[in-house]
Amino acid sequence: MSTAQIRFATLWRREVNRFMKIKKQTIGAPLLETFLYISVFGAALGSRVGELHGIDYVVFVIPGLIMMSFSINSFANNSSSILQQKFQGAIQDQLSSPASPLELLLAFSFGGFTRGLLVAILTFIAASLLVDLPVDHIAVLIPALFLVGFFFSQLGVLIGVRAEQFDDVAFAQTFVLQPLIFLGGVFYSATLLPEPFQTLTHFNPLFYMINLVRYGFVGFSEVSVALSLLALTAATAALFAVNLRLFSRGYRLRA
Amino acid sequence: MSEKALHIEALFKRYETGVEALRGVSLEIEPGELFGLLGPNGAGKSTLIHCTAGLAQPTSGTIRVFGHDATGDYGAARQAVGLAPQEPNLDWFLTVEETLDYHAGYFGMPKRERRERTAELLETFSLTEKRDERTRTLSGGMKRRLILARAMMHRPRLLILDEPTAGVDVELRLELWHYVQRINQEGTTILLTTHYLEEAEQLCDRIAFIAEGVIVGEGTSAELAARYGVASLEDAYLALVGRKELSRSHIEEPVL
Repeated sequence: MSTAQIRFATLWRREVNRFMKIKKQTIGAPLLETFLYISVFGAALGSRVGELHGIDYVVFVIPGLIMMSFSINSFANNSSSILQQKFQGAIQDQLSSPASPLELLLAFSFGGFTRGLLVAILTFIAASLLVDLPVDHIAVLIPALFLVGFFFSQLGVLIGVRAEQFDDVAFAQTFVLQPLIFLGGVFYSATLLPEPFQTLTHFNPLFYMINLVRYGFVGFSEVSVALSLLALTAATAALFAVNLRLFSRGYRLRA
Repeated sequence: MSEKALHIEALFKRYETGVEALRGVSLEIEPGELFGLLGPNGAGKSTLIHCTAGLAQPTSGTIRVFGHDATGDYGAARQAVGLAPQEPNLDWFLTVEETLDYHAGYFGMPKRERRERTAELLETFSLTEKRDERTRTLSGGMKRRLILARAMMHRPRLLILDEPTAGVDVELRLELWHYVQRINQEGTTILLTTHYLEEAEQLCDRIAFIAEGVIVGEGTSAELAARYGVASLEDAYLALVGRKELSRSHIEEPVL
């Protein structure tokens, strides 16, 4: 391995090592949470709901849950890890290394991405054991999930860098991210909503992400798949550009 | 002209808050020197160090570490610098061994070399028994040692020690002095900041006084004392900070 490869691998390894040391909280808890959602909404309520757009309710819900665990875990990991290291001052060790702003940004991003991916895969495996989960469009599913994961990794980095106290991170997750995910149609179809809520849902970016992932699994989407993929790619690229600029300027990282 | 270990020219640093921490600092440290930077709290010592190590961004001016520009060629400049900061900035999640291993990894050291270097420094700093303990469980003195070991992991040519002996007991202070002298004799250039004048006098080849973001005096301790027309480095320092009345020379004079 070259010097740069060793450096990048170590930066990434540190991020993975952090969440693996507290895996009860970072892997176990999200898995349990998703399992509870599947139990309540799938098994208990699902039998009363029946089908949505011709899809068994529990199967309709699971793609959204997988997307939700990928996004929340990517986000939460990066925002907490960066803030924690800023708080302890430990981040100075990486900042005073020869690592470039791009290397630092990617390593922090990949940490949360790895955790999100791990939880999403485990959720998928567990869900497949419980119900018959189809994978209709893998060519859409894989890029959609990767873009979602990367988008939220970037968002986590942004919030972590900006945050000055733990309350800032908790606020973003509880008061912004969670409501957007819940109201983005993980548990229902937007067509079931009365106006103006149906139209308002179309302004929620999470709505498109959930539909993309759902399309990948069950072949049903309430919005244009091509357009959503394009918009998600553009949003992810824009967020990445913002973060790279902040890292290059040393925003709230280097005095 | 021979290459300087550290060459700082007309360095200004204004923080976002408007505070001007450095107001045109110029400084040169020769390779192999043990250089002391003295000054009261808030004089700009840590800012100067942070600018050199890449933790703060200069407003203007240049910093070169062994010829590498700290802004333009930051990779090579930072590779040459090892920083032991004033506040123990250890990661609570990591063990002692991981702390050293990761640091060396950030500087691109291959695995086998990392393992050997870690074992060597754990031994040097009497930390071998603590290798698997998380850093937060360490005593203050152990943390100090670990920070110094971490700074040395990637074999920096310029080692920066920001008040390494602040708040440590006599025994550890003397121990650290021995380490510092040994590392210096082995060829590492050292920039040391301290509040203890005795420490600077004992260890440093040359000393610079910094006050309110400006270097106000530079030379050997004898030269500095001569420049201020006083008997000791401490009196030179007191003259600098405008507190001559605190001089201990008076106390020793016989009272008639």
